[in-house]
Amino acid sequence: MSDVTVIETRSLSKRYGHVQAVDSMNLDVRRGEVYGFLGRNGAGKTTTIRMLLGLIRPSSGCVRILGQPIGPGVLGRIGYLVESATAYPNLTVRENLDIQRRLTRAAPKSVTEAIERLHLVPYAEVRSGRLSSGNLQRLALARALLHSPDVLILDEPANGLDPAGIVEIRQLLRSLADEHGTTVFMSSHILGEVAHLADRVGIIHDGRLLEELDREELATKARAYVAESFSPEALAEALLTADLERYFLWRTGGQ
Amino acid sequence: MLRQVLVTEFIKLRRCKVTWFSLAALSMGPFGIALMMWIVRDPQRAAQLGLLGTKADLSGLEATWSSFAYALVLIVGVGGMLLLAFIVAYVFGSEYGHGTAKNMLALPVPRHWFAVGKLLVIGVWWLAIVCVAVLLAIMLGLALGLPGLSGGIVLGMVGKALLAAGISLLLAPLVAWIAAAGRGYLAPLAFALVMMGLGNLFGHTGWAQWFPWSIVPLLIGAVAEPVASLPAASYLVLALTFMVGVAATNLQLRYADNAG
Repeated sequence: MSDVTVIETRSLSKRYGHVQAVDSMNLDVRRGEVYGFLGRNGAGKTTTIRMLLGLIRPSSGCVRILGQPIGPGVLGRIGYLVESATAYPNLTVRENLDIQRRLTRAAPKSVTEAIERLHLVPYAEVRSGRLSSGNLQRLALARALLHSPDVLILDEPANGLDPAGIVEIRQLLRSLADEHGTTVFMSSHILGEVAHLADRVGIIHDGRLLEELDREELATKARAYVAESFSPEALAEALLTADLERYFLWRTGGQ
Repeated sequence: MLRQVLVTEFIKLRRCKVTWFSLAALSMGPFGIALMMWIVRDPQRAAQLGLLGTKADLSGLEATWSSFAYALVLIVGVGGMLLLAFIVAYVFGSEYGHGTAKNMLALPVPRHWFAVGKLLVIGVWWLAIVCVAVLLAIMLGLALGLPGLSGGIVLGMVGKALLAAGISLLLAPLVAWIAAAGRGYLAPLAFALVMMGLGNLFGHTGWAQWFPWSIVPLLIGAVAEPVASLPAASYLVLALTFMVGVAATNLQLRYADNAG
């Protein structure tokens, strides 16, 4: 991870009528960093991501990615997944990716590579309207990775994936950050997903960035809170959930 | 980049049932007229066919090439305006209906190319099905052996049908803007229906040449006697409507919040 800031927002705000969806957000995400953006439903995660991608205009403040304001130039270096995974239902997985390839000027072989990387080979010629939600999510991730972007902006990337799929995507994102210096900005409301992957976590609530923590700080604070607040029964329940996940992954061939 | 946008817009139509539906819908026009002509040509057969025959008699049609041409232009003109609105609603609205607009608009492509590319695809699609319907009509007319065939009538029919189709196409960008602003199919269809209703109203009040959706009905004689040629003012109104529609669609995609 380097000190170069890749995603930068200053006083980023979005207001819908009387609702302040995002309020004076200041973010600095560094190159090669996996940044987890945590928040409850309706906290402002998706609105922030839409502003990062230029899909909605901020009421005030600004966004810079790779040192540039959002526009076609910089969007070519960003891979993204916004909210729910969607695709053209009448087109096959390969055709959907071919559209992305043509419009991002990626190499023709990138379609096959993305299909293989996301384990979509058996579904390559299947219409996306017939895919399960998990495979549709894989297609959306394949589309995000297709043109080997420098920055990945992913809104709930684990949506619809089974536990083994979540681990697989987690490893893929980690390797992209570690081996290729890809910056990953991912939102989630699943704490475990972020805790396993993110180098740094930002917690958003009611549109405001409450806190930013690195992995160690997060672990320390979380353990202290659990020790103080959890009854022995609640703690045992939480541990059982974690053990169950590990057991399931082992039984189904995951890690 | 426009070339790639155009290629991808055509790819999006693969296995799309709406293209075949639109072709079938417009082709039903020539078949319907041919059926009426076939019935009208023989009154005894019309009587034997009961209600259908009665309706055919009541329509006042004559089994001649000039009646056939008039009915075809009427269908391509008025029915076509609604069908074209349906095509526009599909091409623009489906991006919101399928939830793919957010993917499309975050691509590294200036957004005006999507507006231009989609409008070009609509133009090709629309003119292709109109050409098929007109060719089909000519073949059916010849097969029926209708009296009064002349090169002038056939050329006039083809010319007027293509002119009506072209004028309808100039109204498409405004419908496209409504589809983008309304983020779906319903708003543009409702808009087109209301405009066609207003077009009919203006057509009967002497203002037909000034209202964009009255100009096709004026040309083909749906609101009054058909005119030999449209007044220059109508072409100016159509050009302005087209430019406003293109600009509004472009600005909508470029500057409005695209949360769909």
